[in-house]
Amino acid sequence: MRSRLYPVFKYTMIALWACFVAGPFFWAMTTSFKDVNGVQGGATYLPWLQYEPTVVGWRNIFGGAGGVDVMRPFFNSAVVTVAASAVSLVLGSLAAYALSRYRFKLGFIKNSDIVFFFVSQRIMPPVVLVIPFFYLLQWTGLLDTVLGLVIVTVALLLPIAVWVMVDFFNGIPREIDEMAMLDGCGPFQTFVRAILPNSLPGLTVAAMFCVVFGWNDFFFAFRLTFTEVQTLPQAVVALNSSIPPWWTLSAAALFGVAPLILLALRVERYLSKGNLSGAVR
Amino acid sequence: MTQLDIVDVGHSYRSGAEEERWALKPLRLTFEAGKTYALVGPSGCGKTTLLNVLSGLVRPSQGHVLFDGADVTALPTRARNIAQVFQFPVIYRSMTVYENLAFPLQCRRWDKARIDAKVRQVAEALDLDDRLEQPARRLTADDKQLISLGRGLVRDDVAAVLMDEPLTVIDPQLKHSLRRKIREITEQFGPTVIYVTHDQYEAMSIAQEVLVMKDGRAMQQGTPEQLFEAPSSTYVGYFIGSPAMNFLTLDRTDGHVTLGGRPLTMAWDMPEGTTECQVGIRPEYVEVATEPGPNTFPARLRDVRDHGPQRVLVMEVAGGLVRAKVPREDGVPASEEFLVRLPRAKALPYADGRLVLHS
Amino acid sequence: MNLSATDLCLTVDGVDHLKDVSATFVPGRLHAVIGRTMAGKTTLLRVLAGLQGVDSGALTRQGADFLKTPVWRRDTAMVYQQFINYPHLDVFDNVAFPLKRAGLARDEIRRRVTDSLARVGLADFERRKPSQLSGGQQQRVALARALARGTGILLLDEPLANLDYKLREQLRDEFRTLFSDQGDTVVIYTTTEPAEAMMLGDVVLVMHEGRILQTGSPQEVFERPATTTVASIINDPPMNIFTGRIGSGQVTVAGFQATHVSAHLADLPDGTYRFGLRATDVGLASAGVEGEVTFVEISGSETFVHVAVGETPFVVQIEGIHDVALGDLVKLRLRPERLFAFDEEGTLQRTPSYDLTSVEGR
Repeated sequence: MRSRLYPVFKYTMIALWACFVAGPFFWAMTTSFKDVNGVQGGATYLPWLQYEPTVVGWRNIFGGAGGVDVMRPFFNSAVVTVAASAVSLVLGSLAAYALSRYRFKLGFIKNSDIVFFFVSQRIMPPVVLVIPFFYLLQWTGLLDTVLGLVIVTVALLLPIAVWVMVDFFNGIPREIDEMAMLDGCGPFQTFVRAILPNSLPGLTVAAMFCVVFGWNDFFFAFRLTFTEVQTLPQAVVALNSSIPPWWTLSAAALFGVAPLILLALRVERYLSKGNLSGAVR
Repeated sequence: MTQLDIVDVGHSYRSGAEEERWALKPLRLTFEAGKTYALVGPSGCGKTTLLNVLSGLVRPSQGHVLFDGADVTALPTRARNIAQVFQFPVIYRSMTVYENLAFPLQCRRWDKARIDAKVRQVAEALDLDDRLEQPARRLTADDKQLISLGRGLVRDDVAAVLMDEPLTVIDPQLKHSLRRKIREITEQFGPTVIYVTHDQYEAMSIAQEVLVMKDGRAMQQGTPEQLFEAPSSTYVGYFIGSPAMNFLTLDRTDGHVTLGGRPLTMAWDMPEGTTECQVGIRPEYVEVATEPGPNTFPARLRDVRDHGPQRVLVMEVAGGLVRAKVPREDGVPASEEFLVRLPRAKALPYADGRLVLHS
Repeated sequence: MNLSATDLCLTVDGVDHLKDVSATFVPGRLHAVIGRTMAGKTTLLRVLAGLQGVDSGALTRQGADFLKTPVWRRDTAMVYQQFINYPHLDVFDNVAFPLKRAGLARDEIRRRVTDSLARVGLADFERRKPSQLSGGQQQRVALARALARGTGILLLDEPLANLDYKLREQLRDEFRTLFSDQGDTVVIYTTTEPAEAMMLGDVVLVMHEGRILQTGSPQEVFERPATTTVASIINDPPMNIFTGRIGSGQVTVAGFQATHVSAHLADLPDGTYRFGLRATDVGLASAGVEGEVTFVEISGSETFVHVAVGETPFVVQIEGIHDVALGDLVKLRLRPERLFAFDEEGTLQRTPSYDLTSVEGR
């Protein structure tokens, strides 16, 4: 099985995969330093050698003439994402803990049905939700506001948080709860002092999902905010005029995805480290 | 059935480490064909490394592994024709019990009738014959372990069955019956079995021969009875038997050994240069004496532990603690101070922790 | 300060987990609850701790209804069979956790944690995480946490079951000292092992199928088992139970030669009885009834030889480790003076007479 060719094969596959993943980033990176001439000259990759690099694309997204300022949309996106993720995590893990530890019953509805109800929110096509959301926000006067968008985004992220956390809490031995109660903790203290500190890996995963989905949301922002509040994806799309300014688009895309890359690099450590060994043998 | 020989095998997971720190110090062992062996010792004693050397998972830093005289040191696991049972049951979840047992034979392209006969024979021995059509994943953990074992046993040509702590995930209360089953089956089918465990009960109940290991060394190999009656070191004396063997430090005066100032009648030659001489005696063999006599010493009772049919008397003898196991009907000594006798035939000499053999 | 249970019943899916369980647990004594797996021992502890409700029955402590007290106010500590600790806390903080909850002063917490870690022999492990400890050490942490609080009730659910035998032996010895002075604490300890119950218990409660079959001192339960079930639970290996007859001054057991009725059975009327004989009182002999060895087990320093005499299985316990091959034919001798006699329903009639006065020497 393990021939001498095996390592060669292994590293070839890894290299191919790396190209596949990193390729688009490289492409966007080179494009963002081009201008009209660079783009129309065919596929070129190496600055200075094949084309003359310019920062016009990058200047455009920070308020240069003919572009837009992405700082405000970036800020809006950040506020919406962080606020909605935080609210979703808090509410979501509370709900998930209750669903994991207590039995609920109403007629034929059981815990698993409640969990499915949460998940089903994400199965539904967003188009179905957007119209009621529109009327709700209009009715409450929150259309085209950050707060309105936060509320709607919470509705989107909560199911994810609940779903991830129920699964995670189910994996924590119930004996830990029992022990905490015996040690003098009431139900809420048990959750805060014994369960949450052991849930870091789960919370990290849930937070990752929330931030990624929240950050990347275009559809709801597009339909529920207009002039006052714009998020980053909206701003990027707005750049797309009759002749696509590829260099500006590339710069904006890279700028938009950068926070997620930084987040992934930071969080990766926690994801691999988190385990519960030593709790129960 | 195959005889396995370990010839000067030693292993270190880090190259260049001095021999003292090897996971397995160079050793030479023979596992006879058709016998069941247990490798027992605390974690880190090298038993798993030795098992991995036999299975081919680990290529030893030095030495050779022989299967029936043929050198297999360089052969991978697949080519060694062994069966393995791991800590966690390994079954094909999508298959029935029958398919699980038949699978290794189908891989060997046996014809259907022969497979059927063999699977049914093994299933009957495992008491799984009434559940052959059930999906294997529905079985309990102990039955799944039996399937893992059965997959090894269906192969007539299997060189050896290697078992690595197979009772780990089994409920304590079910261990007993599974242990019994494994022993019965291995006796019936007669493969060479190497069984790794850290539990002495398990080792002694399952194996014909037990190899006690510690710090990468083989401490003693022998039948359970040999390990019990003549432990080659104080460690084996402690490790085998419950309560552990008693050890008392002896004094040496002009060539004779004395205990607490009183002579022992045994003519023991302790080797020159011995720092610590000890007498070792099993709690079962310590006798409560009625009158002074040879090898009889004053004892002071410290505690009585009721085990049911026996009591364990914990007492102080010549400055050391001695446990004696006495039948319940013998009662408890009336006074706190009494006499104990160390029978000549059962007391053993130890020099710096090693048994001193006399011809 | 007594903890009293009255007629506790709990049925789950038609199976009795607790059936009319009544018992009084007294402070300062160790109550060893012995029974096989699924006897209801764990359920009983969980009910006492408040982790499990009951269908009916009462539980009182100091005259108050304990069933209405929530878990966190029951002043109870529990050690589980699995080694349960807080995975995110190190050893010190694990032990300190309940003390912090109880609002103790910092110095007092430090003093108590250090003290109880020393008692379980883990003084040098304060800053380790549970996952860095061996099974035995993890169980010691759980024990230290339970001891540090000095609760009114201490529950131990088969704390040694998942440890290997050398460790079990060592901790059992340590428990004797650890629990010797429990002051005002009610200690309840469950186990499946007779030797553990005998050695540690001040009081032994025998449980089977959700019921408490017998309560008494270890000596009493061991020497006067109320029924055949108790007799087999309180002996390891289980007591040999077989049917026989007493008639015209003879005891007849199928397969064995009739023997004279020994003194302790002499006043029993003629008839059919269930006899019990401990594994230590069946011997391998040069003459006797022949049987086939079906299994040999070695447990610590004893050899248990399972022998089939016709249809009747016997277990023989021999001191020391001996090589006996499966399938061998051996001869058995029963000691008639050691027979326990039960009626056909399994209720105790006579026990062999032990000389309970102390004897010196052999």
